[in-house]
Amino acid sequence: MIRVLLRILGLWRSRAGWLAAGLVLSIAALAAGVGLMADSGVTIATAVASGVLFAPVALRGLGTARVVLRYAERLATHAATFRALADLRVWFFRRLAHSSAGGLGFRQAGDVLARMVGDIEALDGLYIRILVPLAGAILLLPALLILIGWRTPGLAIAVGLLFALAAFLLPWIAARAASGAGTRLADASGGLRVAVLDGLTGLREVRAFAAEGRTLAAVQAREAALLAAQHDLARRTALAGAGAFLCAQAAVLAVLIAAGANPAGAVAAAFLVVAAFEAVGGLPRAGALAGHAAAAARRVLAITDAPDPVPDPASPAAMPASAAIRCEGVHFRWLPDRPPVFDGLTLDIPQGSRVALLGPSGAGKSTLAALLLKVAAPQQGRVLLGGTDLADLPAGPVRSRIAWLSQTTHLFDDTIRRNLLLARPDADEAALWAALDAAQIGEMVRALPDQLETWVGEGGHRFSGGQGRRLALARALLAEAPILILDEPAAGLDADTERDFLTTLNGVAEGRTVILIAHRLTGVERLDRIWRLSGGKAVAAAA
Amino acid sequence: MIAFAVLGTILAIAQAGCAALVLADALRGASSDLWGLLAGFAVLALLRAGLVYAGERAAFAAGAAARRRLRTDALSRLLAAGPALLRAHHSADLTAVVVDRIEAVDGLFARWMPAATVAVVAPIPVLIAAAWADRVAGLVLLLCGLAVPVIMAAAGIGAAVASRRQFLALSRLQARFVDRIRGIATIVLYGRADSEAAALSQAAEELGRRTMRVLRVAFLSSAGLDVATAVALVVLAVRYGMALLAGDLASPATALFVLLLVPEFFAPLRSFAAAYQDRLHATGAAEALIDLPPLPEPAPAREIRTVAAQGVTIAFEDVSLTWDKARGPALDGLSFRVPAGETLILAGPSGAGKSSVIEILLGFVRPDSGRVTINGADITDLVPQALSRLTAWIGQRPVLFAGSIRDNIRFARPEASDAEVEEAAAAARVDRFAATLPQGLDTRIGEGGYGLSGGQAQRVAIARAYLKNAPLLLMDEPTAHLDPATEAEVLDSLRRLALGRTVILASHAAAAHAFGGRRLDLRAGRAAATARGAA
Repeated sequence: MIRVLLRILGLWRSRAGWLAAGLVLSIAALAAGVGLMADSGVTIATAVASGVLFAPVALRGLGTARVVLRYAERLATHAATFRALADLRVWFFRRLAHSSAGGLGFRQAGDVLARMVGDIEALDGLYIRILVPLAGAILLLPALLILIGWRTPGLAIAVGLLFALAAFLLPWIAARAASGAGTRLADASGGLRVAVLDGLTGLREVRAFAAEGRTLAAVQAREAALLAAQHDLARRTALAGAGAFLCAQAAVLAVLIAAGANPAGAVAAAFLVVAAFEAVGGLPRAGALAGHAAAAARRVLAITDAPDPVPDPASPAAMPASAAIRCEGVHFRWLPDRPPVFDGLTLDIPQGSRVALLGPSGAGKSTLAALLLKVAAPQQGRVLLGGTDLADLPAGPVRSRIAWLSQTTHLFDDTIRRNLLLARPDADEAALWAALDAAQIGEMVRALPDQLETWVGEGGHRFSGGQGRRLALARALLAEAPILILDEPAAGLDADTERDFLTTLNGVAEGRTVILIAHRLTGVERLDRIWRLSGGKAVAAAA
Repeated sequence: MIAFAVLGTILAIAQAGCAALVLADALRGASSDLWGLLAGFAVLALLRAGLVYAGERAAFAAGAAARRRLRTDALSRLLAAGPALLRAHHSADLTAVVVDRIEAVDGLFARWMPAATVAVVAPIPVLIAAAWADRVAGLVLLLCGLAVPVIMAAAGIGAAVASRRQFLALSRLQARFVDRIRGIATIVLYGRADSEAAALSQAAEELGRRTMRVLRVAFLSSAGLDVATAVALVVLAVRYGMALLAGDLASPATALFVLLLVPEFFAPLRSFAAAYQDRLHATGAAEALIDLPPLPEPAPAREIRTVAAQGVTIAFEDVSLTWDKARGPALDGLSFRVPAGETLILAGPSGAGKSSVIEILLGFVRPDSGRVTINGADITDLVPQALSRLTAWIGQRPVLFAGSIRDNIRFARPEASDAEVEEAAAAARVDRFAATLPQGLDTRIGEGGYGLSGGQAQRVAIARAYLKNAPLLLMDEPTAHLDPATEAEVLDSLRRLALGRTVILASHAAAAHAFGGRRLDLRAGRAAATARGAA
C-alpha cells in the first residue's frame, strides 16, 4: 500500500515547492495553536504557584499568529492539492494516449472516467488529510516528550506512548483494516458510474424496449453495493475516531493522576495535551481513508502501466521520402485465442496510386489500417513504408503521413471548426471550407446560422449519420498526409450522395495515395488496382 | 444525532469540572479524595467515546437514506424524459448529475443539517456552566460565540455564488474529459495527444484557479472562528492570571474549569464551519437536481387492442416537427397511412425526415402539430410501456451495453429463455460470428461494443427485434454497415421477421428494392411521391 502511494507522490515532484510550503505553514500554525493552549495553562499555573503574571504578551502574539498561519495554511495546502491533482489527470491522459491508440478496447469509457475523475479525486486526501497531519505529529511527539519530560519523565513516557498510539499505530491499524473495504468502495463507485452511463447513453434502447424499470433496478443494485462498502468504511472510521478520542482522554487522565507531584507543570501539561491530541485526532480516520486512496491509486496505475502495444524502436531509421506501401508475408491475430486475421498477406500499394480493398466483414480490412498506423504490429512478416520496415520507424511521423477515416472516427463535442482543426491546427478559413466542400457538406454548413462555430454535440448527434460522416471526412481531407485511408467512407449516405461524393473524391485527392476500404464498389470510383481480402490473404482483382 | 451531540457536551462539562477540581487541589497542595473524581473522569470519557461512535453511525445512515431517495428520483426523471434529452445534453453530463452531484449532497444530510442544529444547541449548556462559575467568563464566551455566525454569513454570501459557478465548471470539465477519452484513438492518430493534454491541463489549471477564488472567501469563515477562539482564550487567561495575582479569585478551580470549557464551547461551531463547506458544495449540486425534467403526470393507462390477427395500423395526419428552429422543420405537414400487416419504405436523402418519423413512432419525441395514431388511438395518449409493447426497433447506431452478447440480446425481453435467445441469435446470424469468439454468446463486450464490427453490432440489434416479437417493426437503415453477402442474409431474415407485421423501413433504394412494399419518398419533411416498390 505504501509503495503505491509513494509512486503517486513521486509524480508530484514538480509541485514540491507548493507542497513543501503548505507543510511548513501547517507546522507553524500547529506550533502556534499548541503554544497558545499551553501558554494559557502556564499563565494560570505560574500566577497561582509563584505569584507572577507570566507571558500575556506572548499569548496575544501566539493568538494572532495562529489565526494568520491557519488561514495561510488552508490556502497553501488546497492550492497545492489542486495543482497536484490536475497534473495527475493530465499525466493519466498522456499515458492512456500511449496505450490506447486502437480505442479503449475492452476497457469501458465509463470505467476509465471513474478512474480518471473519481479515483484521482480519492487521492486528494493523501496530502491534506494524511501527510500534513502526519508531519505535524512527527514533530509534536519530541516536543511533548521534552516539555513534559523536563519536570516529570514518567508522565512524559505515558503521554508519549498514548500519543504514538493515536497518531501512528491506530492510523496504521485502521488503514490495514479498511484496505479491503476501500478496494470494494473504489470498485463499487466505478460500477455505479458504468451502470448509470450505460443506461443514459442507451436511453433510446431503454425507451424502445421499455427497460426503464430494469435500468433503474440495475442502478439501484450498484448503489446498494456502494452504500454497503461506504457503510463498512464509515463504521471502521468511526471506530478509529473513537479510539483516538479515548487515547486523548487517557493522556489527560494520566496528567491528572500525576498532578500531585508537580502541580504547576501538570496544569501546563493538561492544556498542552488537550491541544496536541486535538491536532492528531483526525489521523486514525485518515488512516482508514488511506486504504481507499491506495485502492484508487492501484486502479489508476493499472491503466497507466499498461505497456505500449507497439513500442517505438530504440534507434529509429530515417523517415523514407516515398509513401509506397508493401506488406510481405504478414501474419497477425489480435489475441492469442482469436483466429488469425492475416495468414501470409502480401500486397503492394505504389505511391500516388488509388487502391480499393474489398472483402466481407471480418476479412481484416480495418486490421490492415491498424497495422499501417502502428496501432498493432504483425507477429510475422513485415510492413514497409517507402522501403523501410515500419517496425524501425517511430509511430508519430508514420501517423502524420496517413489520414484515416474509420467507421468509428470520433466527432468531439465541440464546434465544427475545432473538430476540423484537429487534423491541421494551422489551417486557414479557405482550407476549412475547401475540405467541407470536398466532403459535400460545405453547403449545409453555410446554411447554419453559426456556420463553422456550430456545436456538433456528443458523437456528432446534432447531425444525421450521413452528415456526421461527411464532417469526419472533411477532417481527414484537411490533413496534409500523402496517404489517405478511407474505411467505408460512404456508409450511411444515400445512393445519390454516395455517388457524388465518390466522384468528388476522384478529384480532391490528386497526387495522394488513396486506400478505399469497402464491401463493394459503386462503379464511379477511379481506381488503379483492387485487392480482395479473403482467408487472411490478398488477391489482386482487375481494376 | 443531535441528542448524541448535546449529551456529549454535557458529559464534557462534567469532565472539565472533574479535571479542574483535581488540578486545583494539586495546586493548593491539598489532597482530598481525588480517586472518585478521577474515576468519574474515566467513566465520562468512555461514555463520550460511545456517543461519538453512535453519532457518526447515525450521520452516515441519514446521508445514505437521502442519497438513495434522491438518486432514484433523479434517474426516474431522466428515464421518463427519454431520448430527447440526448439532443441537448451529453450523457456524461447527465451521469455526473446522477452519480457525483448526489454524492456531493451527502454532506448536506449527514453533516450540515445536524451540525447546524448542534451549533445552536450544544454551546448553550457550556455557556450556562461557564456563567454559573463566572458571569464575566459567560459574557466573554457569549460575545465571541455570537461573532462567529456574523463572520460566517458575511463570508458565506460571496462563497455561495462562486460555488454555484464552480460546480458548473467542474461538470463541464468532466464532460470534456470523458469526450476526449472516448475519442482518444482519433486524437492519437492525428498526432494531437500532446496538444490535447496541454489543453486539458490548461482547463484544469483554470478550474483550480477559480476554485481557489471560492476558497479564499470560504476560508475566511474558518479564520473568523479561529479569531473568536483565540480572543476568548487570551482574554480569559489574562483575566484569571490577573485575578489570581490580585487574590480576587478564591480557588484556581474556577479559572481552570472555564479555560477547559473554551475548546468545548467552540467545538460544535468548528464542526459547523467544516460542514459549511459541505453545504456550499451541496447547494450547488442540489440546484442541478432542481433543473432536472419533472416527472410526467401519471397518465391513465389506456391500452389499445393488439389482437395479432388485426395487427397495427399507423396513420400520420399533417404532422410537423422541428428539432431546431435554425435548421427548419424536419417534418412539414406529412401525412400517410400504413394498414395493418403492410410495409412502408421511407426513402429520400439524409436529413429528409426519415429518422424523425421513426423517432415519433418510438415515442422519443412528440410532434409539434398534427396527429399520429396507432389503431386510431393518438400516440400522445399512450403510456411509454404500452407503446413499447407494440414496437420492435432496429436503429442506425445500436448501443450495446457492458455485458455478454447474450445479455445484450435478452435486453429486448428479459424473461426470454436461453433457447429463445439462441433462436433469435440464429435468425439474425449472430451465431455465425459468435462461434468464432472465445466464449461464444457469453463473450463480454464493452461499452459501445468493442470487438464487434458495425455490422456485428447491427446483427445483435436485429436479434433483439426477433426476440421482441412485436406487431410493429421500425427499422432505420438496418443494413447500413453490412457487406453485400451479410446484407443479403440479414435482409432475408428481416423479410421473414416482417411477415404478418406492420413494417416501416427507412432506407436507401438498394435495401428497399429487396423489400416488397409501398414506397414513400421524403424531401425536406414532405412526401415527394408514392409508388409501389419493386418485388
